[in-house]
Amino acid sequence: MNSTPYAPHRHINDHYDIVGFISSGTYGRVYKAISKRNPTVPQTKPTHPDGRPVEAFAIKKFKPDKEGELQYTGISQSAIREMALCTELSHPALIHLVEIILESKCIFMVFEYAEHDLLQIIHHHSLLPRTPIPSSTLRSCMFQLLSGLLYLHQNWVIHRDLKPANIMVTSKGSIKIGDLGLARLFYKPLLPLFSGDKVVVTIWYRAPELLLGSRHYTPAIDLWAVGCIFAELLSLRPIFKGEEAKQDSKKAVPFQRNQMGKIGEVLGLPRKQDWPLLVAMPEYPNLQSVSMHNPAVSRPVGLDKWYRNTLSNQNYSQPSNPPPDDSALDLLRKLLEYDPLKRLSAEKALEHPYFIGEDGRGDGKGLPSWNCFEGLETKYPARKVSSEGNEHATGSLPGTKRSGLPDDSLLRPTQKRREV
Amino acid sequence: MAANFYDSSQAKFWTFTKPELANIRQEQEKTNPQLFAKHPMPDHRHINIFLQGNLCKLAKRMALRQQPLATAQIYMKRFYTQVPFQRTNPYLIMTTAVYLACKMEESPQHIRLMLGEAARQWAELGVTESGKIGECEFAMISTLRSRLILHHPYRSLGEFSSTLGLSPEEQSLAHNIVNDSYNTDLPLLHPPHVIAITAIFLAVVLRPANSQPAGLTAHSTAHTPVGGAGAIQGAAMSGPAAQSALAGIGIWGQGRQVGQQRLAKLVDWLADSRVDMNAVIDATQEMVSLYDVWESYNERSCKEAISRFMKDSPGK
Repeated sequence: MNSTPYAPHRHINDHYDIVGFISSGTYGRVYKAISKRNPTVPQTKPTHPDGRPVEAFAIKKFKPDKEGELQYTGISQSAIREMALCTELSHPALIHLVEIILESKCIFMVFEYAEHDLLQIIHHHSLLPRTPIPSSTLRSCMFQLLSGLLYLHQNWVIHRDLKPANIMVTSKGSIKIGDLGLARLFYKPLLPLFSGDKVVVTIWYRAPELLLGSRHYTPAIDLWAVGCIFAELLSLRPIFKGEEAKQDSKKAVPFQRNQMGKIGEVLGLPRKQDWPLLVAMPEYPNLQSVSMHNPAVSRPVGLDKWYRNTLSNQNYSQPSNPPPDDSALDLLRKLLEYDPLKRLSAEKALEHPYFIGEDGRGDGKGLPSWNCFEGLETKYPARKVSSEGNEHATGSLPGTKRSGLPDDSLLRPTQKRREV
Repeated sequence: MAANFYDSSQAKFWTFTKPELANIRQEQEKTNPQLFAKHPMPDHRHINIFLQGNLCKLAKRMALRQQPLATAQIYMKRFYTQVPFQRTNPYLIMTTAVYLACKMEESPQHIRLMLGEAARQWAELGVTESGKIGECEFAMISTLRSRLILHHPYRSLGEFSSTLGLSPEEQSLAHNIVNDSYNTDLPLLHPPHVIAITAIFLAVVLRPANSQPAGLTAHSTAHTPVGGAGAIQGAAMSGPAAQSALAGIGIWGQGRQVGQQRLAKLVDWLADSRVDMNAVIDATQEMVSLYDVWESYNERSCKEAISRFMKDSPGK
């Protein structure tokens, strides 16, 4: 036995071979790995909760706060949350954590590897010639995503950073919600959620109550993000692609006028007759200034027209690939509802006719599949994994990185292939 | 997890049977015979009382809340099932457990502040670099297998108290009894709702004669329960069935009309619920015997036992 009780129990290099580099951010790097080929210590084959062996791994390595730091500086709260929540949670639509190894000042979170993510799939379809994401895939993706989200919310967890890049897709068509670095429990918090992290959710997916400075928010913020993701899967571009107003040096959180304007261009600005608590929002007085900077919010497109334009711009020509019907529009409208109290919950969303039809059994289309690639001929290209370890930390595209977090400075991994 | 205790890592990985727990401790002794021979320790409940008292002092100094303190105590309990107490620096382990628990309970403290306050509280800490806390944090998370989300009896206690309409005095006594339960093995043996029910049960039976100050810990309450302790112990041991145990206690409460009504309500409620009564009886006995052991607690002898083995191997 070790004489010191503080020595690591397992070593990452005893169990895994790193085969490539996936992405990097300020928190550290993500690598692709496989089980050790020539092990020198006894190995146990890691398995999924359903018993299948895990073939490949994504290892998220948190580096010490400062490169070359000789001391332990304490683990960031964000990493602690992610470690604790991933250890505790288990659901088919949630990325599976295999183990966590703490070794020489680094934390290695070992996850099952997922071949794709929704951002990558959107990108693939937006390459010329543009093709729409097949309706059956779309429906299955949304169904699985909402199932995973329902599980999180039932367990009192708000994800707080849902976006296409954080939603993994395995080669078998399973959706896996990933990156719980911003997630937290909301059961009777000791302090209001606001006081912990002043800014949550990547700007394009941030719910209006957050944009308006709400001190208390609910799981409904995740449903807004799901609505944005749904729209993006339909149109292949972010529906509300605003520019983030940067935090000034005094740590005051600025009003996100531009983003509010982008939402207003489609939906019109929120009105107090539709959202009674609107006037109580701290940024409510600023709402008027949005139309001065962006006159388009006074003549909004409207979600109906946005939907019809989107479908007609998409190339739903083949009879084998019919466009989604109007129940998709209805679901979208109920997710992109301004009033968080009226917005659909994950539970209600899963009961929507878009998934179960009018007859409760999918109206002849059947219930959504747990394989989003079912019946598909196309095969999506595998994730790019570079063998050389050169990282392109591309920085500041809002769709890819997480906004500044006052409680720690972890940023999202930057995705290299983001279309602008 | 948060939705269902029985799906939680606490239920699945960190709840033991009594023989399992005894076995773990025996193994520890068997694999470290010299350590245990050289440094015999006082009753582990005495050590726990010592640790809790010290944690409370630190919590007071830093104005910490109950929840992180309770969480820190469980982290330490779990840690010490894996690592012999005498091999560690208990002051560093306390500091680290509080530091980690505060982050987990969403009230983070800066590591340097943590070190500063701990060093001012405990001259024995012997740590001057915050990096030591960071290193120990790694070891602790690793030893706990990253299972850091906990379920405490306080939530159930609040729910049951309002269901049963407990008086403020009873609630406060029950709360203090729950605090005291962290000095026993109960958090490693029973689900939190069993501990909450046990505390309510004891609080209703032993109703506080005169109101007592509700501190972070109820160790002031240790004196009150002892009076009734024999009665409960006798009742609970006389028969395994809940009914006989409860009936036995009913006699003890005779002559106090209000208390009897409440007790009757509690008995009905327990009968209707599907609570594991054997677990409640067992937990009741554990608590009663804790209060018994508390009588012979001596802070100085605990402190000296710790400093003896720390001198030997500074727990690095």
